[in-house]
Amino acid sequence: MSSARPGPSEWVLLTYRLPREPSTPRSAVWRQLRKLGVAQISDGLVALPAAARTREQLEWVAEEVTDAGGTAGIWLARPATRPQEERLAQSMAAARAAEYQALIAAAATAAENGDLAARAGTVRRLRNELRAIQRRDYFPPPERDHAEAAVQAVADLPAEHRARPGRVRQLARPAREPAGPAGQETR
Amino acid sequence: MKWATRERIHIDRSACAWLIRRNIDHDAEFVFVADPADIPSGATAFDIAGAELSHHAGDCSFETILRRYDLDDPVLWRIAAIVHEADLDDQRYDAPEAPGLDLALRGLSMTRSDEEMLRFTGPLFDGIYEYCRRALLLGREPS
Repeated sequence: MSSARPGPSEWVLLTYRLPREPSTPRSAVWRQLRKLGVAQISDGLVALPAAARTREQLEWVAEEVTDAGGTAGIWLARPATRPQEERLAQSMAAARAAEYQALIAAAATAAENGDLAARAGTVRRLRNELRAIQRRDYFPPPERDHAEAAVQAVADLPAEHRARPGRVRQLARPAREPAGPAGQETR
Repeated sequence: MKWATRERIHIDRSACAWLIRRNIDHDAEFVFVADPADIPSGATAFDIAGAELSHHAGDCSFETILRRYDLDDPVLWRIAAIVHEADLDDQRYDAPEAPGLDLALRGLSMTRSDEEMLRFTGPLFDGIYEYCRRALLLGREPS
């Protein structure tokens, strides 16, 4: 009640050191951390917003580091100031934004010169990539919605040059239907 | 026997508990701890940091238990593929069922205690086993 704005929230940190050689475990750990979308604070120090799931994910990476002969630790910590936390969040949002941008470019290429027979496979691949990015997206940038729309646009391309109105209407419905009498019925 | 695992269970720990009761220790008793230091003495730990029956070399705990106890039932290994992808999502296996099962168990874990999770997921994994068994025998999706 004394202060209006909440202070910085809790983060889970992984500190780790791995021998330079062999390089296989090093790159395996690096790939895992990349997949989790961690913020790299410095060499051997990465962070995720604290939650049961993120903590467990980093604990398994820590296990892998110690299995490979390295040392690792899991910490719970709060940034001392809000600006420091905001910088961390912004760096993570910017990293995801760049990934979404690359996906948007890939979707645009697929929409332009994708051959129709390979469409289903292309859409599946784009959706898998989209989901992988979204799973590590803790501070969604505006590019998240743009990437979803870009991938959906590839799926919505008409199979032939003739449009399929039924399909288009069905996809548009959730966005266009306001909470009216019809919406209330479902509550 | 007493078995201990990390509290707030979802896919991997639920599946391990089902597997332990089904194939290793029918009267298994489970305790859920927040910290590995709280594991009761004499209890076998699984899916928790520092335990032998845990994530190793890219395996999830379910796979580790299958290997450790020489369980080579192909149906169990099909379930292992689903559990692995639901838990780790690293594309080691082709398991399109994984995201749906992960969502169902994650949602259940938000509204139910660990003990209740075991009660609900036990019959679920029995059903998944039966489905995978029929699929393997038929060589196609069972109807």
